Formats: sequence, C-alpha cells, structure tokens
Amino acid sequence: MKKVTIYALSTCLWCRKTKKFFEDKKVPFETVDYDKQDESRQTEMLAEMKESGYSGAFPFTRIGNACVQGYDPVEFERLLEKR
Amino acid sequence: MDTVLEVADLAALPEGKLRAVYPQGLPVLLVRSGAKVFALENRCSHMGCPLSDGSLDGHVLKCPCHDWRFDVRDGKFLDAPEIRLKTYPAEISNGRVYVRLI
Amino acid sequence: MSFETRKKALRFLFGPTVDKLGYKFTPNEEDADFLLEQEAAIEAETGIPYCPCQARSKDRAANMRMVCPCIPFHRGHYDAMRRCWCGLFVHKDVTDPDGLRQLPEPGWRKLEVGGAGRHPR
Repeated sequence: MKKVTIYALSTCLWCRKTKKFFEDKKVPFETVDYDKQDESRQTEMLAEMKESGYSGAFPFTRIGNACVQGYDPVEFERLLEKR
Repeated sequence: MDTVLEVADLAALPEGKLRAVYPQGLPVLLVRSGAKVFALENRCSHMGCPLSDGSLDGHVLKCPCHDWRFDVRDGKFLDAPEIRLKTYPAEISNGRVYVRLI
Repeated sequence: MSFETRKKALRFLFGPTVDKLGYKFTPNEEDADFLLEQEAAIEAETGIPYCPCQARSKDRAANMRMVCPCIPFHRGHYDAMRRCWCGLFVHKDVTDPDGLRQLPEPGWRKLEVGGAGRHPR
C-alpha cells in the first residue's frame, strides 16, 4: 500500500475532510498539523510543499510519490488505485 | 443637501502626511499632493481601520492594519477596482481647505 | 471561549466587501459557521482574521494576502473554482457548494514525482 502523508492545518475544514476520506477508506496515513509545529519545522514543510510545485495552501497530501493540493477525493482515489 | 465645511489650514497639511479631520463628526482623511488636497473616508473598506495611521507612497495609501492599498486620487482599491473609498470634493481657498460633504 | 459575537461582526464586516466582488457566504451554514469560528479564534490569537486553510510564514507581504476576505489577491484562481480557498465564500450564482472542487493555484506546477522540479515562477 502506498504511503500517505497529509500536511494540514488544525483550523482547516478541508484538511478534516481529507483525513476523514482516508479514515473511511481505512487507508493508514500520517498527518502533520503545520500550525502545531515550531518555526523551523514550518519552514521545512513550506519548502517541501513548494519544492513539489505547490503554494502554501492546505491540505497537502502525498500519496506515494505524487502530491495533491486541496481536498480532491477523485484524485485521491485515482492515486491510491494507480500502480 | 451638500454642505461645504472648512476643515484645515493648508499650512498645517505638509506634503505626504496624512491628517484626520471630523467635519460634522464624519471621519475624513486629508492628503495634500502639491497644489491639490484629496479628501477620503478615513476608514478602510476592509475592516474599518483608520487610514490616517497608514502610510503614503506617492498616490498610494496603505492601510496600517492589513496593507490594503488605495489610490488617494479616486479612492480605488488597487487589488479590486470594484471596491473604493468614498471621496469628497476638496477645495483650497485663501490658504484654507474646504470639504464638500455629499 | 465563545466567539459568537465576533463571528457576527465578521459577517457584518465582510458581507458588503465580498458582495462587490461577486461573492457571497457559502449557503452551507454548517461550513460557514465552522470557518468563521476558526477565523475568530485565529484573530483572537494573532489580532488578524487569517484564512484558516493557508500557511502563514514570517513574510508579512505574503501573510497579508491571506487575510480574510483574501479574494482580491487570488482573483483568477478563486473565480476558476467559483469559491475561495477555504470555501467561506462562493460565487453568487452557486447554490450547491459541495459540488465545487479545490484546485491548485494556476502557475504552480503539478509534479507526480516529488522533488523533481521547481516552481516555474
């Protein structure tokens, strides 16, 4: 199974929906709340998002080697099924 | 009905400085630019912050709270022309500044 | 702590602004209430009602572009989605906000292999 990591904000509605999507699918995932991290970790996370071609908007989900910005169930499904 | 009120001495309005006045209790911002004076509503369209506490760069007025930028000549918000500050006609006569409240 | 009064104030402050921009509060009242609650909490903590779904950094100019309502600073992107990023505001003609998708900001390149490229701007 592909590794799933969700970068989120604790205040973000769509981050919650993203986490719920993977919970409902019973797909294990790791999640990191940006706003609960210290400044140096936040800088790292933002740099990682930008390095992957995205802005600083959440949620940011990594599924295997692919990334998705925003709550996009169709894309989540596609990437989970993709070999 | 329009009301014209004296609001300041021109000599008390240095170029590039922002000055708050309150004709009939209304919050009005005066900005001197050369031989002209512009009068605008002294409340940001965003959250009502007093623009007289902001900064001026040429004709661009920046709100002190969240950096919304307006053109003092017509009150337009630079990032969305649909939004603008109310402006009042201002005149100078005998070294005094008058604002027409409309 | 209850933010009910401040939530009403934020509605009162933002309503006329977003109306001029062609937007309205999302008709999904549950989502609107949640998002306003987050903004009021963020404002209580920082003094500024930032978007609850965007990352703040040490860059003031960048942070100011995500103060609610941030529509003027992301106009093309939000017009394409017919909603703002967090979904508090939708285009006036939207009646079913749940059918709208969050799309990445145009100009940011989508990469399927992590770390293989850079932002093109």
